[in-house]
Amino acid sequence: MKILIADDSRVMRQIVTRTLRQAGFGDHDLVEAADGQQALDLATAEKPDLVISDWNMPEMTGVEVLRKLRAAGNGVKFGFVTSESTPEMQQQAEAAGAAFFIVKPFTAERFDEVFSPILG
Amino acid sequence: MSVDVVVNEDDLAEMVEQVWVSYLDPEGVSPLVPTGDEAQTTEVHSSVSITGSWTGHVVYASSTAAARRAAAAFLAMEDGEVSQDDLSDVLGELANIVGGNVKAMLPPGCFLSLPQVVLAPEATTIYPSAERITGLYGTWDGEPVSVSMWQSRSDLKKEEDTE
Repeated sequence: MKILIADDSRVMRQIVTRTLRQAGFGDHDLVEAADGQQALDLATAEKPDLVISDWNMPEMTGVEVLRKLRAAGNGVKFGFVTSESTPEMQQQAEAAGAAFFIVKPFTAERFDEVFSPILG
Repeated sequence: MSVDVVVNEDDLAEMVEQVWVSYLDPEGVSPLVPTGDEAQTTEVHSSVSITGSWTGHVVYASSTAAARRAAAAFLAMEDGEVSQDDLSDVLGELANIVGGNVKAMLPPGCFLSLPQVVLAPEATTIYPSAERITGLYGTWDGEPVSVSMWQSRSDLKKEEDTE
């Protein structure tokens, strides 16, 4: 499977990658995006099976990326990994069609719990 | 609108513990040990600003050695391999994570800024319109680390006026 990791923080992209590996999902193809526009472009061009996205990114927020994908008929599994987690953000994510919402800091156990049903 | 401070030292300690357990000390062998020493000297710091229903700053500060160790832990490398960019990026991420968790405890309607990183002591940054309302001060393997919250004076004034 192909996974797109969208986060403007290089450190956080590395940590998400490492945590995926620790949780046993290291064999999947990983693609990285460093801002919202790039996330939207790569989610369209690379046809990933899963998008793991930050919320607050330059160019476009993660939820805007998700809304644009859905508006274009793209149903890719999409969820958020963010340090910001308020009830209204979670509601917005859910309403836009997000499959999960992971709060930083996160552990490999949390990744396993969320991604096992998705990645198998 | 008046907003009580809903984040205290214990809350900061809980957030910091989560960061240590998840990234900096997953084995649980070198936690951040609170000392309460507000006068401890730091060498680098990072911060995020929060605006909206609460206005102020969340500041992460440490010695350079502690920042290098944090960067090494975050990036799975040796202390000696950490570049200045690594150090800056990790300091920014630490402020972002703690700031994001603080924001989650505040009333709805807050905006979190992107992090600012300063490779100089915390005392070199002055927040002219804010005062420190709480902070967590401790050591990590003997190196100073702190997280503090600074609230806008106009926010504090509004609270006083409504009391």
